[in-house]
Parts: sequence; C-alpha cells; structure tokens
Amino acid sequence: MARLDDDGQWIVMMGFLVAVSIFFLALVINQATLVGQTTAEGVLEFPKSDIRDFTEEVHTLVDTGDVYNSTINETLRRDIIALEEARKNTIVNYSVQQVDISGKTYNETIYHFNNGVTVYDATVHY
Amino acid sequence: MVGDDAQLYTMEGIAAAFVILMTVYLVAGTTSIYTPGDSHISDMQLEVLGNDVLLVMDTPTEEMKESNLTLYLRTWNATDFERNFTSLLRSRTTDGPDDTLRFAAFVSYNTTAGTINTTPFGSDGGRTGYEQAVRVTRLVTIPGRPPETPGDFREIKQVVMVEVLIWRG
Repeated sequence: MARLDDDGQWIVMMGFLVAVSIFFLALVINQATLVGQTTAEGVLEFPKSDIRDFTEEVHTLVDTGDVYNSTINETLRRDIIALEEARKNTIVNYSVQQVDISGKTYNETIYHFNNGVTVYDATVHY
Repeated sequence: MVGDDAQLYTMEGIAAAFVILMTVYLVAGTTSIYTPGDSHISDMQLEVLGNDVLLVMDTPTEEMKESNLTLYLRTWNATDFERNFTSLLRSRTTDGPDDTLRFAAFVSYNTTAGTINTTPFGSDGGRTGYEQAVRVTRLVTIPGRPPETPGDFREIKQVVMVEVLIWRG
C-alpha cells in the first residue's frame, strides 16, 4: 500500500478557505448586474412623467384662476379625464376647494391617478 | 480485488473538480445576455428623453407667459414645433453629428360630439409602420380652436393632449 503523504495539510486547508472566499466574491459580482438592472427598471417604469404632467397641468389651471373659489372649470376637468382615459388608459380625477387653515385661505387640490399599475394620490394646499 | 490505494488523491481530485465546476458556473453566469425582452429598457430611456423634451417645450421662459408648446398649438404652427422638437431631441453634448432619432406628433382632443379624436401635428418624415416607437404625451391648455384644425374641434377653451411617437431611425 502506498504511503499516504500527510504533510502540508494546513496548506491544503488554507487553499480551500481561499477558494471558498473567492467563490463568495464571485457570487457578489454574479448578482451585481442583475440587481443593477432590476433597480434601473424599477425606477424607469414608475410613471413619474405622467403623474407630473397631470399634476402640473391641474396646478397651472388652479394657479391661473381657471379653478378658483371652489368653482372648477368643469369643461377642462372633463377634457383631462377623457383624454387620460382614452389615450393613456389612466383614470385620473381632481377636485379643488378653498379651506381655512390657521386663519389663511388655501386652495386644497386633491389628485387621483391610477394607470392600472401605479396608484398615486396627493393632497396639496397652495 | 478493488484497490484502495490513494484514496486521498481521489478525494482531492473530486474537490478540485468541484472547484473548477463552481468557477466555470460563476464566470459563465456573470455575463448578461441582451435578449429581445430587454429592449424595453432602451425604450424606457427613449421615453424619458421624449418626456424631457416636451417638458422643456412646455416650460415658459418667463413667469406667467405662455410656453412654446402652447404657442405652437394655439397658432397650429407644426413647422416651428417640428424644428424646436427636432433640435431638442437630437442635440448632443459633444461635437459631431446629431442623434438620429425620428418622431411623429399628434394632437388628441375632445370633439364636439364628445369623443376623442387624434389629428397629425407634424413629423420629420414618412413612416413604414415597422418602427419600434415609444409614445410620450403632454397635456396642454389652449384658449380656443386653432386655425386649420379639423371641423369637430371645439371653439371653447380646452385641454388637448400632445402625443409624440419617437423611434431610432
């Protein structure tokens, strides 16, 4: 029977340990691309521009007096709702009313946005 | 008789084989392959660019003044819209040739009959129907019916939606 050479067992064990730690680092690199991609997709898929377009348009209407003293311009509101539904498959709505907070009068605008994936609601006092 | 010599060498061989297999698996798995399903990432980047262009065009240069986009729609000036949109869409920070993006714009509006109609509002060339286009939109308030628009455009103050198809030409 051949003699088993049992010298250098520490070296062999350390070799394995180093190999395992390199595996761990490789696993991190392996996942990095996937994590980066899904994160970027998540950020891009959020309908930021659609929501901002809707709220900015309503805000401009409020700001320029088209919606004021609790009298919403119903024609413009129906235009926005119809266009968003027909062309963007998005359900939107908004309402404006004047509220008194700490002795000051604000326009309280309530936004609702739902495109089937993202639901966004906001209440703005301005 | 089965020889039981060199059993440690056999085990070492198996361990080494495992190490090599693991390495190859990790190296092969780290490369990401661009599949057709991933093309929506560049589409979404195109959408971001298009939305930015519309945002810039819809921002007035002075407070309480009307934006270029509103001006073009109010006067139905598709020529200036095209020029402005093209320059914003294709400009690059570096010297050299402009980007090769193409676009076609439309305006959707609420008709006198209460339905939504869409009418062309300028494009930078013909389309084959096979473009991999993305669509960006923006709501615009105009004070009345612009000249040279279809007959079912309402005369009153209204909100219309500018829609732009953008693709890489």
